[in-house]
Amino acid sequence: MIIIGEKINATRKSVRSIIQERQEKALASLAKDQAEAGASYIDINVGTGRGSAADEIEAMKWAVAVVCNAVDKPLCIDSADPPVLEAGLSALEGRSAMINSTKADEKSLGEILPLAAGFGVPVVALAMDDKGIPETVDGRLKACRMIVEKAREKKIPMENLFFDPLVLPISTDARQGRVTLDTLAAVKEAFPEARTTMGLSNVSYGLPGRSALNAAFLQMAVYAGLDAVIMDPLDEVMMDAVRSGEALVGKDRHFRKYTRAFRKKAR
Amino acid sequence: MSKQELLKKIAENVIQGRVVAEDEGFDEGYEGQPAVTELVEQALADKIDPKEIVLESLTGSMEEVGKKFDSGEYLIPDMLASAECVGAAMDILGPHLAGAGVESKGKFVLATVAGDLHDIGKNIVGIMLKGAGFEVQDLGNDVTTERIVAAVKESGAGYLGLSALLTTTMREMQTVIEALEKEGLREKTRVLIGGAPTSEDFAKDIGADAYCRDAFHAIDLLKEMPRQ
Repeated sequence: MIIIGEKINATRKSVRSIIQERQEKALASLAKDQAEAGASYIDINVGTGRGSAADEIEAMKWAVAVVCNAVDKPLCIDSADPPVLEAGLSALEGRSAMINSTKADEKSLGEILPLAAGFGVPVVALAMDDKGIPETVDGRLKACRMIVEKAREKKIPMENLFFDPLVLPISTDARQGRVTLDTLAAVKEAFPEARTTMGLSNVSYGLPGRSALNAAFLQMAVYAGLDAVIMDPLDEVMMDAVRSGEALVGKDRHFRKYTRAFRKKAR
Repeated sequence: MSKQELLKKIAENVIQGRVVAEDEGFDEGYEGQPAVTELVEQALADKIDPKEIVLESLTGSMEEVGKKFDSGEYLIPDMLASAECVGAAMDILGPHLAGAGVESKGKFVLATVAGDLHDIGKNIVGIMLKGAGFEVQDLGNDVTTERIVAAVKESGAGYLGLSALLTTTMREMQTVIEALEKEGLREKTRVLIGGAPTSEDFAKDIGADAYCRDAFHAIDLLKEMPRQ
């Protein structure tokens, strides 16, 4: 499982001030902690929702430089705004990365796919279009097909597409857990070389015991073919869920990851 | 890499349980480096004597793995990974060993007895025996007494290994031993038994030559037995 560490996200209040005040040490330790906990990618989202586009571009350049300096992991440059993505990608200095994200509308695809092609990096592709998140599997798969078509035109290799089937809270529509899982499986079947990812904590919004719901949902997604997950790698319950889920479906050869985690805890 | 370094590297990777380069090891940080398959191929390309590879790199390291398993440091998947390494190495070395005139330690017929479908332990024993230089004929699981006796007769095997994991099937071993006696094969064949419900006492009770706790124990016992 590819773990994309989600903690550097300016929508979180504490991270917002780290970014606004350029607290280099605090940002570096957010990156280090996630890398040590097992993150394969470090996500960077500096969208504070205040300030100008130019501010965000400067913030992204700064954050990329600080994180590159702190850890040797690839980055996940996270923004809905193409110029911010481009600023982040340009600041990599050889570090590998992925783009988070594009959706299936002409405008995002027209601006973001050329970045993915130009920088030769994978891109997270959301199963939604300009009208929002389709409620059905067919609707979401249609959005994915559109992305595949456009990606082919840009000669982006299939394995560089990470489809996110998207997760809506089950508390408002009990069918949504299944819609996500079925979309995941349908994407895997339709585009076997493409990969899949998701951020899944949304599924439990509005219900108690969220940790247990998230962990159970993650394991179902592992079974349905999830390749990457956007999560907090310091969340032990979720990391255990990843390892035990992959062990159970035979994705952890010789159970190395599963048994190693136990050895580390015993130490 | 010098010959000694290469042989050491192979041994290290058997202990780490890495069959191919992309495999993780027991310890962290090995991914991507050449593993047993690549290293054994390199050793052959370097014209290192295949017999030396078996003795220097495989046999000793499996003894090490056995110790780690006994102490509880290694778990079943760790041991299986190492056994898989020896199996992969023997698959590559097999044809070269025959050419090198390496002397076989003897023929060994292996089977899980009738009515019993368990074969994980038996398979490990098979790999270990191959690594130790025996010619192994593995008949599989749920093998009838008639088939076992016929195989021993046909191959002239000096050793027979019987496995059973169920209290309801372990008695089949006695049937096999009686059938060997009837065919006049018992004197020519040493019978070693193993499997969770069996024991030293049970082995004596049914007239087997030895009870083996696990694959490593089997190899140790065989060292002390006169050649068949």
